[in-house]
Amino acid sequence: MSAVTPVAPVPVAPTTALRARRGRRKTAGRIGVNAVALVVFGLMVFPVYWMVSTAFKPGRDILTYTPTWFPVHATLSNFSDAIHRAYFWRDVGNSLIIVAMVVALSLVVGFLAALAIAKFDFYGRKAFIVLMIGIQMIPLSALIIPLYILMSRVGQVNKLSGVIITYMTFVLPFTVWTLRGFLMGVPKELEEAAMVDGSTRFGAFARILLPLVAPGIVATSIFAFIQAWNEFIIAYVFLNSPQHQTLTIWLASFTSLRGTDWGPLMAGATLTALPVVAFFVLVQRKIAFGLTAGAVRG
Amino acid sequence: MAEIQFLDVSKEYGGTVAVRDLTLTVGEGEFVVLVGPSGCGKTTALRMVAGLEEISVGEIRIGNRVVNDLPPRERDVAMVFQNYALYPHKNVYENLVFGLRMRRVPKAAQKARVEEIARILGLQDMLRRKPAQLSGGQRQRVAMGRAIVREPKAFLMDEPLSNLDAKLRGQMRAEIARIQQTLAVTTLYVTHDQVEAMTMGNRVAVMRDGLLQQIDTPQQLYDAPRNLFVASFVGSPPMNLLEAEVVREGTGLVCRSGETEIELPHDVVATRPELEARAGQRVVVGIRPESVVESGSGASIRGRVLLVEALGAEQLVHLDVPATPLSRQDLVDAAAQPAAPGLGTDQPGRSTTILGRFDRNALLRPGEVAEIFVDPHELHFFDLETGAALERAAAPVAELAR
Repeated sequence: MSAVTPVAPVPVAPTTALRARRGRRKTAGRIGVNAVALVVFGLMVFPVYWMVSTAFKPGRDILTYTPTWFPVHATLSNFSDAIHRAYFWRDVGNSLIIVAMVVALSLVVGFLAALAIAKFDFYGRKAFIVLMIGIQMIPLSALIIPLYILMSRVGQVNKLSGVIITYMTFVLPFTVWTLRGFLMGVPKELEEAAMVDGSTRFGAFARILLPLVAPGIVATSIFAFIQAWNEFIIAYVFLNSPQHQTLTIWLASFTSLRGTDWGPLMAGATLTALPVVAFFVLVQRKIAFGLTAGAVRG
Repeated sequence: MAEIQFLDVSKEYGGTVAVRDLTLTVGEGEFVVLVGPSGCGKTTALRMVAGLEEISVGEIRIGNRVVNDLPPRERDVAMVFQNYALYPHKNVYENLVFGLRMRRVPKAAQKARVEEIARILGLQDMLRRKPAQLSGGQRQRVAMGRAIVREPKAFLMDEPLSNLDAKLRGQMRAEIARIQQTLAVTTLYVTHDQVEAMTMGNRVAVMRDGLLQQIDTPQQLYDAPRNLFVASFVGSPPMNLLEAEVVREGTGLVCRSGETEIELPHDVVATRPELEARAGQRVVVGIRPESVVESGSGASIRGRVLLVEALGAEQLVHLDVPATPLSRQDLVDAAAQPAAPGLGTDQPGRSTTILGRFDRNALLRPGEVAEIFVDPHELHFFDLETGAALERAAAPVAELAR
């Protein structure tokens, strides 16, 4: 016994020390990762915070050399100023029309197109897919002038319909691509089983396929919503009369030759952001599920 | 219930033929298994019955009605898919009731029927669960239930057990066979597993490259395979195959394969009259592993023991014997071919490995030379060119002559 006792701790001691060292290294690593995450979070959230807080500040608190971090003398005057500006409600209406049309059209057309390239074999399918992704690579600014010329030839400049069609050109590829991933994740046996069970082809589609790709439809509708609601350049170039403008253009009108009216601008921006935030909060559970499911399947 | 008939059915996919001139009848209440290696056209044949695949040439009838142009829902068959194809967003009850809803069965009847099936299959406590919350065996059962619940004219099953582990597969095999017997529903079952085919089917149809090789009862397939492919495909472990020359010695015939000789008694030759004409030619000799015995009558063969696999009740012994291996590997099932034909043998090409199924008490050790016996009555003979089995006389000719 006495010979064993001094020997025993020898193999134990280094392993405990090693484990402790490893544990410390792991903790340090975790702190580092969390610190980076915090910095990124701060960078992303601060502009939003600054927008909202500025919207509530009275004019004298906005343009000062010592920044006021919190809206101490909170006021709603910026908001009432913004709302009572010319064309506000009209442009809200325009934006809503555009968004509703883009979301609805891109879902219907996108879903059918995705169905075609996911489930049917036809000549040129691969080329079509590559082309769709390839076109996404072209920067939007390079397309504006050709698109403008095209639209003016068919009489679609300064019309909401022209903007809707143009938005579709860059919303659709994403919609088709994402929904294709979701559709490919649904084994064809499910539809076949439904058909053998007594469904028509359309019945199998409506009862089996559609509910299964619902998360994908939610995800793409959010994308289409955000794209169409926030878009600026195309709307700015295509819509030149104030009656036909969207909210983003209306926001730009706060900046004039005499300078920028920061308080009302920030109030207007906050109001503009609200629908997107509301829509997102409403369906965020589904988009989180939808995006991961799409990634794994697609 | 109804008969399923294939009449000269072919299926082409842009140039390649998946099924060629298939003529086959599944009788009322019969359980027929389509078996073959992957890509042999068995699943395509099944899907043509379901209406999920168009028929290029020929006719398929279900209960005397030509169904070629009917959509799947009008054929009144039920199908069990390899991956079960349970609707993931519906719970077990909704999965089971789907077919009844589609057929507009009254609500009360739907409920009663689903509950009855759930009771039979032991699924009562799982009716509210989604497929993702079930084990593999339970999913399999739901898939079966979905087929049974509708009381269709026929069951079509596409490798329904291949996603289960070995133990569960054995269990479900018996369960499906029992359900089929109880309901006596015409069943066409597809599998690549010859054990499944042999144990479940009333009759088994062996397919290769889109062609039906043989359809027979399991025992008949095993005892009298019509060609080399069926011989090598059916049976586990597979039949031993050697190339041999039929030589006339005195008044009798001898099979000579390398240095190994098997004398063919008169009654063996009498049951295979073709052998006489083959004197001086090369044929393929097939020996089932259980026909190789440690002691007894028959031809003796000397070989070196390469490996002994003890299975508890029996032993599988690999022996290297000085006999000519089969040169026409294209005629046999790929899975039955030796992976490394020359491995462990003394002279590759001139000696071959044969497998014997021995009693648990056989005392054979790797490395030693052993003498084994083969009963010539249990040999199978095949044409080396075509792989066709040499025809057997219906009754022993010697007896008729007497």
